[in-house]
Amino acid sequence: MKILIIEDEVELASSMVTYLSSQHYLCELATDYPQALEKISNYQYDCILLDLMLPGGNGMSILKLLKAQNKEDGVIIISAKNSLEDKVSGLQIGADDYLAKPFHLPELAARIYSILRRKNFTNSNVIAQNELKIDVLSKSVTVNGIAVMLTKKELDLLLFFVGNRNRVISKSALAEHISGDLADMLDNHDFIYAHIKNLKKKLLEAGCGNYLKTLYGNGYKWEV
Amino acid sequence: MIKLLDKPLKAFIIYSFVVLLCSIPVYFLMVDWIWVHEVKAHNQIVAESTKKHLIDLRMDDRQVGESVALWNKLQPDTKLQQVPSIRPDSTYDIYRKNKYIPIKGYDRFQGLVTYFAINGKPYSLTIESNLEESYETIAGITAITIGFFIILLLGFIKLNKRISARLWRPFYQTLEKIKAFDLNMQHQISFEPSGIIEFDEMNTSISNLVASNVAVYRHQKEFVENAAHELQTPLAIVQSKLDVLFQNQEITNEQAILIEKIQNGLSRVSRINKNLLLLAKIENQQFLEKEQIDIGEALDEVHSLLSDFEEEATLHLEVGAKVVVDANKMLVETMLTNLLMNAIRHSAHPAEIRISLFNNCLTVTNPGTAGLNSEKLFKRFSSVSKLTPGSGLGLSIVREICVRYHWNVSYVYLNQLHTFTVDFGSLSVNS
Repeated sequence: MKILIIEDEVELASSMVTYLSSQHYLCELATDYPQALEKISNYQYDCILLDLMLPGGNGMSILKLLKAQNKEDGVIIISAKNSLEDKVSGLQIGADDYLAKPFHLPELAARIYSILRRKNFTNSNVIAQNELKIDVLSKSVTVNGIAVMLTKKELDLLLFFVGNRNRVISKSALAEHISGDLADMLDNHDFIYAHIKNLKKKLLEAGCGNYLKTLYGNGYKWEV
Repeated sequence: MIKLLDKPLKAFIIYSFVVLLCSIPVYFLMVDWIWVHEVKAHNQIVAESTKKHLIDLRMDDRQVGESVALWNKLQPDTKLQQVPSIRPDSTYDIYRKNKYIPIKGYDRFQGLVTYFAINGKPYSLTIESNLEESYETIAGITAITIGFFIILLLGFIKLNKRISARLWRPFYQTLEKIKAFDLNMQHQISFEPSGIIEFDEMNTSISNLVASNVAVYRHQKEFVENAAHELQTPLAIVQSKLDVLFQNQEITNEQAILIEKIQNGLSRVSRINKNLLLLAKIENQQFLEKEQIDIGEALDEVHSLLSDFEEEATLHLEVGAKVVVDANKMLVETMLTNLLMNAIRHSAHPAEIRISLFNNCLTVTNPGTAGLNSEKLFKRFSSVSKLTPGSGLGLSIVREICVRYHWNVSYVYLNQLHTFTVDFGSLSVNS
């Protein structure tokens, strides 16, 4: 899977490259507008991470160009502005997602994963891992063919873990993913425990392997 | 407090009253003098012509005696009589009771006594003319003066009103505009030329003052927004580095705990920054899209989002009549979330939090141990509790949203309960 990161902040870009590469994504980097233009016209990517404020031009016009060329690349806008107008117009032009800075890398990875699944498996988007099967479209989970009833948040967490397999995810990244801005308002992210405990219990009871590991007391890892 | 124009009016009225009061004796003396002077002259003329005609008749002594007797009978206001000797003329002013019409009381007479000789015998001729009584003159003049004073008074008041309405109109227009001016709205004030130098100068000065204030205010707000924007990227860098660091296989437990602590601090910085940005955006008149929002439904949504905190707080939701407002959905949700989260955060757990929506008022009540400073409560960074430090901006955002939509947000502490009330006012649609 090839990912193009269009981001002028080299340090941020390098973190993304490090994190995503370990997920077996092939990352390329463009740090300004002309470079980005050159890359998107010469190569095909599975997903493009697009910063809107670039030296030499506006990221929005890159997006327009991509859509004008009918490129299939998935696009996630990454913006420091977090403005509703940008989000709305970005999604209207054809971006697949919008992520405001600052964000957790696991969040980014989960969103990339979700977009890639959507692009590549339009009709039957089923994630299979040994005995575990997750049907993303119908939002159902089966272990050895037997349905497991998960709440919306538990399913959300499961997909988040699967999208970040073998990565250590901090509690705050999980809290933010589950509760969005609400997590922001609480210093105490303990509510995450309850959801994870339930998810783990339901999967184990259904006969699923223990993939979800707790690390250092406050990090989690979906180990495959 | 009195109106500016009423001050000179008062002075004018007092001055005209004094002048008119002084004019009463002056008028009286003048009128009386003219009266007396004219009547004296009249008596003199009558006396002279009578004397001349009598002498010209050239009657003998017997005829004179008969004529005098006849004269005295026919002319009651004159008296002709023989006297021992000729003396100089004299006049007198006398009040006498009316003999014929007693109801008229006293009459005033001006008299002239003149002496002359017929056939060498001295005679005196007394002529009296009825004169206006002094008190009647005074009464008449006073009545007229009072009448004129009333006319003046009415005129002054009427003129004053007209002048204040016309002359001061530009001033009151300016005043209205200044009163209606809201720095938050970022509108410049524009004045129409009044054609009066003082007012135009005042308006120009006010315009300049307002323009510079608006500019300073805008710069300040833009600064906050830009600063918050600029902070997002470095925050993102730190965040991403932490996430990468967390992947390191070799980190120890202690290091992991340290990372988590850094993570928490960073989350707080991000949160403050995000809220600061939100606040700046609300103040900078963003989020202008509006739609009809049912507050009850919005509350339900926020309530379900908060289900994660059920262990910490029980939320009791009571919704009466439907309250629909025309506002930005995101802002309404933010306001409700902030109010509810505020209640959850600042209550001892497990807490009972009551949310009710009645009479166009939303109230959120949570238990507490001491009242909060309601003046500082809605200000930025006036975090009142050290135990559960928040971003210090949640309630500022609530207030800012309420200000935008002219809702009234208030706080009271009663019976060990913190109560926040948002009054949606009569602007909201009730159905």
